[in-house]
Amino acid sequence: MSATAMETYSRRAVAAPSARRRLSTSPRWTTLAKGAGVFAIVMIYIPLVWLAVMSFTANPLAGIPYPLTFQNYATLFADARWRPPLYTSLLMSAGVAVVCMALSTLVGRALTRMARPGASLLLVLMPLFVPGLTMGAALFIFLRTMLNLTLGMWSIFLAQLVWALPFCILLVLVVASRFDLRLLDAAEDLGASPWRRFWDIEMPILRPGILGAGIFGFLLSFNELPRSLFVRGIETTMPIYNWAMAASQQSQVPIIFSLTTILLAVTLPVMGAFFWVLFVKLDKN
Amino acid sequence: MTAILDHQDAGPQDTGTRRSLMKRVLDGLSPSRLMVPGFLLFWSLLVIVPLVVIVLFSFLQVRQFRVVYEPTLATWISLIDSGRWMAVVRTLRVALTMTVIEFLLAFPFALWLAKGCRSKTVKAAVITLLTIPFFLDAASRIIVWRSILGTTGAINTALMSLGLVDQPVEWLLYSEFAVHFGLLGTYFPPMVFPIFMSIALIDDEFIQASGDLGASPAQTLFNVILPLALPGIVAGIVFTLVPLMAAFVEPQLLGGGFVDLLGNSVNSALQQLKYPTAAALSTLVVLLLGLCLVALIRVVHRRIDLAAMFVAMRR
Repeated sequence: MSATAMETYSRRAVAAPSARRRLSTSPRWTTLAKGAGVFAIVMIYIPLVWLAVMSFTANPLAGIPYPLTFQNYATLFADARWRPPLYTSLLMSAGVAVVCMALSTLVGRALTRMARPGASLLLVLMPLFVPGLTMGAALFIFLRTMLNLTLGMWSIFLAQLVWALPFCILLVLVVASRFDLRLLDAAEDLGASPWRRFWDIEMPILRPGILGAGIFGFLLSFNELPRSLFVRGIETTMPIYNWAMAASQQSQVPIIFSLTTILLAVTLPVMGAFFWVLFVKLDKN
Repeated sequence: MTAILDHQDAGPQDTGTRRSLMKRVLDGLSPSRLMVPGFLLFWSLLVIVPLVVIVLFSFLQVRQFRVVYEPTLATWISLIDSGRWMAVVRTLRVALTMTVIEFLLAFPFALWLAKGCRSKTVKAAVITLLTIPFFLDAASRIIVWRSILGTTGAINTALMSLGLVDQPVEWLLYSEFAVHFGLLGTYFPPMVFPIFMSIALIDDEFIQASGDLGASPAQTLFNVILPLALPGIVAGIVFTLVPLMAAFVEPQLLGGGFVDLLGNSVNSALQQLKYPTAAALSTLVVLLLGLCLVALIRVVHRRIDLAAMFVAMRR
C-alpha cells in the first residue's frame, strides 16, 4: 500500500503542504494490506465462533451444527472432573498476579535507577527468547531429575512466573521510565518522608503499570500450557486439563467445547473492555 | 525550611524505636542496591541454570532411574541413528515458512495500521482484537479446526453438498497443510505488534522529505521506512520464530501423527522417561534458534549498522 500511497502523498504535499497528512489513499495497496490483516484476524476468531456454535450441537467434532442441543452443557454441569483444575488455575493465577505486581514494581523501579540497565534487562527478558516447551523441559530436568524434588503447585507457580514476569516488568518499565526522578528529590527537599515520597508521588504514576502487570500476570498464567505441562507433578490446571482431553481424543471433547465457551463468554467481554480502555487511553496520552 | 528540619529531627526522638524500625522498612522500599543483583541471582537460578543443565544433561545417561554422571555421546548418536533429524529439518522448514508467511501478511497490515489508518476507533479495535488471542487457551482453540477441516467437517460438508467434490478432501486435516493453517492465526499478533510499533515511531516528516526530494514510492519504502522499521521487524521475527520452533499443540492436534515436530519429540521423549533425549532435543531447539538469530543479525548488519539504527530511533 505504502508505495502508491507515498506517491499520492507527495503529490498532495506539493499541492497543499499544510493539508492534513493522508498516507493511505491508494485503493489497491490499502485493500491488499487490510485484506491481509482481516484474513489473519478472521483466522484467529473463526475457531472461537465455531467453538461456541458447536458447543450447542450433539457431536461437536462432526462439523455440522445440527442437531442443536444443550446436552453438552448438561453433561458439563453433571461432571465434576473439570472443577478442581479450574479452581487450581484460578488460585494459581491470582498468586502469580500478586507476586508479579510486587516483583515487577520492585525490579522495575530499581532498573530505572541503574546507570546501565542494559545487561540486567536482557537477563530479565531472557525467558521471552526461549520457547515455552524448552523452558518447561529444562525446568523439569533441573528440578525433578537433577535436584530430585517433588513437583507440584510450587513448581507450576515458578514456571508460570518465568513466563509472566518479563511482560509485567516491561509494563512497569514503560511507565517507570517516564517518571522524572527529580520529582522525588524535590519532595525530599520539601520534607516528605520516604514512604510519602513513594506513595504520594511515585505510586500514582506507576499505578497503571502495576495494575496492568497484575492483569497480564493473571491472564498469562491462566492460559499457560507448555511450561506447566512438564512441571505439574500430579497437579492439573485448566489448560493442562483441556490439552489432555483434546490430545487423547476422548469422549470428553464435547465438555471442553462447552466449558471453553462459558469461559470465553466471561473473559472475552472483560478483556475486550479492558484493552479497549487501555489502548484508547494510551492513544490519548 | 527550618521548621521542616525541626520536624524531621523531632520525629525519631518522639516515637523512639518504633520509628527507626519503620524507617528501616521504608528505606528498604527505596530501590536498594541489593534489589537488582538479588533478583537477577534468583532469576538466573530459575532460567539460566536449567538451560545450562539440559545442555550438560544431554551428555549423560539414565540407567535404572538414576542419572549416571559420566559424559557420553550416546544420546546424540542415537538421535542421528533414529532418524529424529528428519523432525529437525521439518521443524526448521515449517517454522521458517510460517515466519515468512506471517511477515508477508503482517508488514503491509502494520504499515497500514500505523500510517494509513486514520480512525482512532478502528486502530484501538484492531489492537484489541489482536491482543485478546494472546490470552486464550491453545488446546481448545486449535481442536476446533478439526470440526472445520475434517473429512466430515464444515468445509468438506459444504463442498460435497455444493457438488464441487465427490469425495471428501482428505488433505485438509492431519496434514502439514492443516498444521500451517492452525499456526497462522496464533502467530500473527506477535509479528504485527513490534512492526506496528516501530513504524508508528517513524516521523511522518521523514516520509514527506523523502517524497519531496523526488524519491519514488518504492524508494521511500525500501530506503526510508524499511531501515527505520528494522528493529521492529527483527523483534517480530524473533517473537514469531521462538515459539514456532517448539510448537507442539498444533502439530499434535492437527497433524495427526504425520507431522512430528521437535516440540512433539520433546514431549513424547519426556513421557517415555527418556530424559537425556528430551534434553538433547531441547538443546537442539535452542541451538537452531541461536543459529537462526545469528543469521538474522548478520543479514540485518549487512544492510544497516544496528547501533546507528537505534540512534535514529531515539532521535
